Amino acid sequence: MNIVVCIKQVPETSDIGWDPKTGTLIREGVGGILNPNDKNALEAALQLREQHGGLITALSMGPPQAEDALREALSMGVDKAILLNDRIFAGSDTLSTSYALSLAITKIPSFDLILCGKESWDAMTAQVGPQLSELLNLPQLTYATVITVNRNSVKIKQKLEDGFRILEASFPALITVEKEINQPRIPPMDSIMEAYRDKEVQVWTAEDLVKDKKHFGLKGSPTQSRKVYSKKVQKGKVTILEGEPDEVAGRLIQTLKQKGLL
Amino acid sequence: MDFTLSGESKMMVKAARDLAKQEIEQIEAKIEEEDAIPDDIWQKFAKARMLGMMIPKEYGGIGSSALNVILILEELAKTGSAVAFLMALNNSVVETIYHWGSEDLRKRFIPPLCDGSLWPAMAFTEPGTGSDPTAITTSAKPDGDHYVLNGTKRFISYGHKKGYGVFYAKDETEKVTAFVVDKSSEGYTWSKPWSLMGLAGQGLVDIFLKDVKVPKENILGEKGKGFHILLRWIAGERVQQMAFMVGMGQECLNESLRFAKERIVRGRPMTDMQGFQWMLAEMHASIEASRWWTYRVASKQDEGDDIAVDSAALKLFVVPTIQEVARKALQIHGSYGYCKDYKIEKLYRTIASPGVTAGSTEIQKTLVGSALARSKEI
Repeated sequence: MNIVVCIKQVPETSDIGWDPKTGTLIREGVGGILNPNDKNALEAALQLREQHGGLITALSMGPPQAEDALREALSMGVDKAILLNDRIFAGSDTLSTSYALSLAITKIPSFDLILCGKESWDAMTAQVGPQLSELLNLPQLTYATVITVNRNSVKIKQKLEDGFRILEASFPALITVEKEINQPRIPPMDSIMEAYRDKEVQVWTAEDLVKDKKHFGLKGSPTQSRKVYSKKVQKGKVTILEGEPDEVAGRLIQTLKQKGLL
Repeated sequence: MDFTLSGESKMMVKAARDLAKQEIEQIEAKIEEEDAIPDDIWQKFAKARMLGMMIPKEYGGIGSSALNVILILEELAKTGSAVAFLMALNNSVVETIYHWGSEDLRKRFIPPLCDGSLWPAMAFTEPGTGSDPTAITTSAKPDGDHYVLNGTKRFISYGHKKGYGVFYAKDETEKVTAFVVDKSSEGYTWSKPWSLMGLAGQGLVDIFLKDVKVPKENILGEKGKGFHILLRWIAGERVQQMAFMVGMGQECLNESLRFAKERIVRGRPMTDMQGFQWMLAEMHASIEASRWWTYRVASKQDEGDDIAVDSAALKLFVVPTIQEVARKALQIHGSYGYCKDYKIEKLYRTIASPGVTAGSTEIQKTLVGSALARSKEI
């Protein structure tokens, strides 16, 4: 079973700035980490490979430093790593990102499954997985908490707001995973050394994907941020309610109702 | 001079952080309560390939550097747990057997210490001596193919756990020789663990050797040259101890910042007040200086330099420096810092340890001072 896992490097902290002109995140000077949800996707792929064999390719689009996320994927145990890196990709929205990823996936010789994290923790749109499946014309199985592979099909337990449902699709298919699906493995130290010393991260540019580049990057993105601003936080006064527990609880509820919080 | 850490080293630190969160912090309260480390932690270290890290792959290690071990140890130390010491002890004992051992000793003793099946130990100290090698009384008398060891060793970490240890004894020529001893040998017994101020679960026991037979081929290095082995080991141990101090010092600062940012005094967070800002600044500067010097000595170790004097100088600087960081952290926390509910309480106790173990801070001054006096450079 051959699997492609799409991963993203995201800023390490939530304390990041925005470019007021483009409405995109300012990533310079901010440390990057492998998106936590994508780690679940990698772990799911590694477990499937342990059960069914095959090869895992980790695929990412991003600036040169996104190579670190791919090295982490290699240290967890994936077989191949590809980075889509080109200045023209800068400012991509989810559709433009999905487009570039879909073109790259068509160049990967054969695959049975594409796994993605449900969402990235910086943008939290949960759009790339579903868009990718549409562009590649694949069945999409989203929000998976369990994946079961049968001979000719794959089944997932999908998490919904008020319950679960079981979905099944033929191969190839795309699955997005929830964080509950597994506990990602910690890469062993020797595997980290191999990932940095012995393994390769292939870098593909826009030229490697397609000649017509109009759908890439900021210009190829239909989503434009008109305005980005930080939420103003107003600090209130601390009020300490004193008295018997029942009485204090009653006053607390009353106060919260008055403020429209209950 | 390059002060940047490689991507590989940074990733190792991150993996160590994740391991500390998933495997150590979860059980730390239990370790404190029971004063014992669960045996399966050893297998977890083995799975993470954090045992025998500096040893080549063919003996079960991974061929990494002393600096990487130091970085991992610093990260694990932020838990304030003896579990971090466990990893350090394994790496230093295994490296000692590798450095001095014959091919036969390497192949017999190193792999099981790297795969998590056996526990290491290093045994020099005795009831009547700490730093004076001439005062040791444990004897090793030749008897056919064996040496017969008799004596008592004191404060031996994990001496009661199944595995192999490096033991020092006076041979028939009254010189100190190092032996690799199987802790399952007949005549090998131990006391109950000492109850310590900190480092719960460290498993510090006294070992009683009564006619313990050790094959002659288990002599480590040259006969009669055991003290050289001890000095080289203890130099590496000092650097590891200081990495432990740096990690705990950093955690003291982290905890102090968390506390001071949230604690409101006269309507303002403590961090708004210049007095506390100065304390935090001094803590930060102290930790950074300690950290980079520790990295420097570890790098010298990787370069194959003799670090006996460097590691002693490092220790005599880092120990009081980080102990002062811990004192400031306690002051910032006020009465809360004296409560077991706050991590500072444990860190404060644990930070007291390296100043009196593996050579006191004071004896490092003698080491460095006498080396300077002997120096012919000036």
